Amino acid sequence: MPWELKSDRPIYSQLIEQIELRICSGVYPLGSKLPSVRDLAQEAAVNPNTMQRALAKLEEDGLLYSNRTSGRFVTEDVNMVKQVKNKLAQEHVQVFLKKMKELGFDYNEILSIITTIAEEMKQ
Amino acid sequence: MSNILECKNVTKVFGAKVALSGVTLNIPRGKIVGLLGPNASGKSTFIKLCNDLLTPTSGEILIDGNRPGIETKKIVSYLPERNYLNDWMKVADIIGLFRDFYSDFNEEKAYDMLRRLDINPKDKLKTMSKGTKEKVQLILVMSREAQLYMLDEPIGGVDPAARDYILDTILSNYNENATIIISTHLISDIEKILDEVVFIKEGKIVLTKTVDEIREETGKSVDSLFREVFKC
Amino acid sequence: MLAKLMKYEIKGTARLFIPLYLALLLFALLNRIINPFGMLEASENFNLQVLFSIISITVYFILIIGTFVMTLVIMIQRFYKNLLGDEGYLMFTLPVKSWQHIVSKILVSMLWTILSFIMAICSILILVDIDNLFEEIRQFISTISDIFGSAGFFTLPYYALLSLISGILMIYAAIALGHLFSKHKLMASFGMYCVLYVIYQIVMALFILVFGKKSFNSLISSPSTSSLDLNNLVLSFSIPLIIILVVNFILTNTILRKKLNLE
Repeated sequence: MPWELKSDRPIYSQLIEQIELRICSGVYPLGSKLPSVRDLAQEAAVNPNTMQRALAKLEEDGLLYSNRTSGRFVTEDVNMVKQVKNKLAQEHVQVFLKKMKELGFDYNEILSIITTIAEEMKQ
Repeated sequence: MSNILECKNVTKVFGAKVALSGVTLNIPRGKIVGLLGPNASGKSTFIKLCNDLLTPTSGEILIDGNRPGIETKKIVSYLPERNYLNDWMKVADIIGLFRDFYSDFNEEKAYDMLRRLDINPKDKLKTMSKGTKEKVQLILVMSREAQLYMLDEPIGGVDPAARDYILDTILSNYNENATIIISTHLISDIEKILDEVVFIKEGKIVLTKTVDEIREETGKSVDSLFREVFKC
Repeated sequence: MLAKLMKYEIKGTARLFIPLYLALLLFALLNRIINPFGMLEASENFNLQVLFSIISITVYFILIIGTFVMTLVIMIQRFYKNLLGDEGYLMFTLPVKSWQHIVSKILVSMLWTILSFIMAICSILILVDIDNLFEEIRQFISTISDIFGSAGFFTLPYYALLSLISGILMIYAAIALGHLFSKHKLMASFGMYCVLYVIYQIVMALFILVFGKKSFNSLISSPSTSSLDLNNLVLSFSIPLIIILVVNFILTNTILRKKLNLE
């Protein structure tokens, strides 16, 4: 999964989102060990201090925990991850809905568009 | 000493030209700092002053508490904009030179990087292309386990793939006790790896902020802000 | 550190001198085999043989003179290119004091100058048969000790080496002074050399005026010149040389330390 970092938003917050995404989508499975800060920073091509701050925040939030000697791990708490997934989904939907409103669609139209396209994507 | 580099009111004048004026800057260890400014803004002058290649007209520069001199040269690794390698030497010869003069030179690391870039140590420097010579220079500089790295336009004349390699090398060499100062005008390529940026305009420092502070406060990338600040 | 600098200094210059010396010696050998002098003596009128001999001798002399000219040129070019050109970025960021750079270059320049002399003499020896070589050498040595006494074997080489160092340093000081100019650095260096040379002559003249009168008078008035007097003369002449040497060194070192401005 490539790291998508936009140039006009703080890198720190984007890193948090990107790691959350990877946890939710299973790139970093529950309970798995994360690569070192250095390696992650190199992979994402970002400053290691910034990566460190993002990881620290995620630890604070409980998505990650660190073991002094063995490194950082993804939480094993399924519910917590579910919560994050939902939060992310909410954020994406809110952005989507705002955009659709700007385009002039109403609630019902939006729902039917979503259903149609979701069907098409299934095939 | 927590600050690896301290500059107090540094001014450098060449005859009638004021290259640097009242530069005051403190940079702690473990940071990657971008020194950003257009051509002839004083970046190279500043870096040369830190390397004892120029003497300040007034003001003081301290690196790890010492004025630029022999003691600082032992802990500062400098990549100049120019090609400074003696053409007649082979790559292995220049590695030998670095090993002879710098106690912090890691020969193994250098050979490893050469191997990964497919550069033959037995080749003579004068047979190499400009891009390859620049890579060799970068390898030499990054193979030192220095406390302060000063890179003057490391990605300037290099193709995008090589740029990625150089940025990757810089990141992989990072350690919390050393600081890397990168002077460049190619900002969009490097801003993600920087902790802080220092904007320098006509010899004066006009801004010192972290990359995220800039993005947060202005909603723009450092590159965009730079274009604004330095509009012609 | 000084030894390491010298090692690289020698490495950097040997590749220029070694081929030169080889060419010189080979050509001397060639000339010895062809024996152009003999050919000239033997032939009565101008023909191809004579032409060939003349060319051969001329080329040989050009090579000898060329060797010394090259020694000078390489010495100048090395200092200029290695310290004040792009390579200066490497040299002056090495953890080495600037005086060490100067001293390493002086020592290596001396080495090549002396070697050039030796090579020139060797080539002459190859070229020309000197009968009873050792006898000639012995005579030469005894002539010197007659005039200068055994002390002469110290004072003369001492003075010669001092002159060499002083000469080299004057060139370096001129180059350093020329570096201070923003444009036409090479011409400025040449000009500065002339200035320094004139100053040197004036200092020597002043020295002779002030201190020399006494010793010259005693030399002229005494019936025979003792070797002691001559040696003292040589030694006293070395004093202004030392002063000039020191001044040139301080000049060069200060400029490299404080007034360096690489492009």
